[in-house]
Amino acid sequence: MFELIQGWLERPNYFAFVLLFLWGIYIMVTRYNLVKKLIGMYLMQTSVIFFLVTTSAKQGATVPILLSTTEAIQPEIYTNPLPHVLTLTAIVVGVATLGVSLALADAIYKKYGSLDEEEILKRME
Amino acid sequence: MTRHLPVILFLLPLCLAINLPVIGLKHREWCRPLVITIVIGMVLVSIANLVGVLHTGTIHYAFGGWAAPVGIEWVADGLASVMTVALSLVALVCVIFLSSVLFPYLGSRIVPFYILVLLLIASLIGMVFAGDLFNLFVFLEVSALCAYALVGLAGGKALVAGFRYLILGTFGASLYLLGVGYLYAETGTLNMADLALRVPPLVGSKAIAVGVLFMFIGLGIKMALVPLHGWLPDAYTYAPDRVSPMLASLVTKVALYGWIRIMFWVLGAHAVVYQIPVLFLVGLLGAVAALVGAFLALSQENIKRMFAYGGLSHIGLVLVGISLGNQTGFAGGVFYLLNDAVMQAGLFFWAGAIIHLYGVRNIEDLTRLHGGAGWMSVALVVIALSMIGIPPTGGFFGKWYIILGALEAQNYLAIAAVLIATLLTLAYFLKLFERVFRERSVEQPPLIREVPLAVRVSLGATSVAVIVLGLMSDHIVSFLLKTAIPPGL
Repeated sequence: MFELIQGWLERPNYFAFVLLFLWGIYIMVTRYNLVKKLIGMYLMQTSVIFFLVTTSAKQGATVPILLSTTEAIQPEIYTNPLPHVLTLTAIVVGVATLGVSLALADAIYKKYGSLDEEEILKRME
Repeated sequence: MTRHLPVILFLLPLCLAINLPVIGLKHREWCRPLVITIVIGMVLVSIANLVGVLHTGTIHYAFGGWAAPVGIEWVADGLASVMTVALSLVALVCVIFLSSVLFPYLGSRIVPFYILVLLLIASLIGMVFAGDLFNLFVFLEVSALCAYALVGLAGGKALVAGFRYLILGTFGASLYLLGVGYLYAETGTLNMADLALRVPPLVGSKAIAVGVLFMFIGLGIKMALVPLHGWLPDAYTYAPDRVSPMLASLVTKVALYGWIRIMFWVLGAHAVVYQIPVLFLVGLLGAVAALVGAFLALSQENIKRMFAYGGLSHIGLVLVGISLGNQTGFAGGVFYLLNDAVMQAGLFFWAGAIIHLYGVRNIEDLTRLHGGAGWMSVALVVIALSMIGIPPTGGFFGKWYIILGALEAQNYLAIAAVLIATLLTLAYFLKLFERVFRERSVEQPPLIREVPLAVRVSLGATSVAVIVLGLMSDHIVSFLLKTAIPPGL
């Protein structure tokens, strides 16, 4: 148990990712308000993006732009750019999903006059 | 030229989708012929691509000229080319059906509606050809976004069903992306061919195991594998009658295809057959899905909901086939996947047509048909025979090869699952037949006398297709065995 907690403290970024991910799922599952569900969903998506970024973090490294064209390239002083690029695409996907979901929530509100899931299910009958 | 065919196949629907708002601004009535023309073009291009792949071997298309492990790559091999031919043909029939005059007039919404349909088709093509895990994710999400919007189009209950689909689908996509992140962190590559070289030595690693598990759960939600199927019945029942055939026949099947790709082309056949118990897990889940889906279908009253649960059980059967770990089982599973796409499309065509021709939504009310609707009854019988698995149809031969594969693997659990699922399928179709053909005193005239041409074409095409698939099964399966078997299986 002690070693487990020590392992978490050595890698606080991964611990933060797990916390955010589970927090997002918790909000998604327990809240009845549709917009709150969406907030949980977005938190979960963001935590995955955070995970991708954190895998490329490196202490003392710089942005992946060549400092000089004449010297030999030293890969160890640059961070890995690929996870950041994946992150950009994942953010775009997340924003598009959020847009569609807000449009659906808006249409549900206009149709049933409520955003509470239980209330909507009651009015659907 | 053949080198570019996969990309042309993808660009055809995409370009029309981008240009349709401009064309639709003035000439709304052009949308339908344009969309049908483009999808016919896709069928031709996909067949040309299949012929090209057979002649010249697998096509590796590097986007922007960047070579594979670094750049983005599309791979058109035997399996992907066969899948795209099937996908284009089913999409063509679905597009003919959804543009029928039978359905409510959409007015100015017709243009965005066709754009969503085209984007859905394009993204499914992208998923089939994608050569790396991250592009698979992007296309998965594009197709899912189109599907959410198309489900929600019907308004009312469909909005809530679509919202639930969206929440669960996004959860699945996030898990999939997380799994991709794990695999990338462990191996440093996203390209499937490159991963296939780097994963096998690491197959005992926890990160790979957890990553693959996350990807499986994520894709499992998208393909509605039974414990994760919560979104599907509502979404397909309340979705507009014109789009549910397309969703039911294509979206879940392509997610399943994605899983086949990852299992046999990334983990590698050797690893999943001999080293890690993935196949056992997949086979078990497939058997459970086949039985539970059929049981739930038996207890449904709504026709579309019953077919949706039937689809769940058939996803399970495909998984049973591919989990057997030998060539016969794999070819049988893939052949059943093609059959299932056609059968699901046909069943939902039938359900959609019956709702609009006779106003029948529940099995109770099917007596109104009174055996009078010749065209509809024949189509129902032919497709149902295939769903159950009676000899001259494709469904029988799919199950036959799965059982042959199971005998080869001496997996009697799989045989039992296939047989019991067959009996349960027979049971729920008997329930349907009993209502349609039983002599009854109440006879009501249909709302519309004439079955519209588009409905006749789409129902006829799917009925003929299941019989042709059955009669040609020998050739198709030996063709699959020759071209589409993963390396090392």
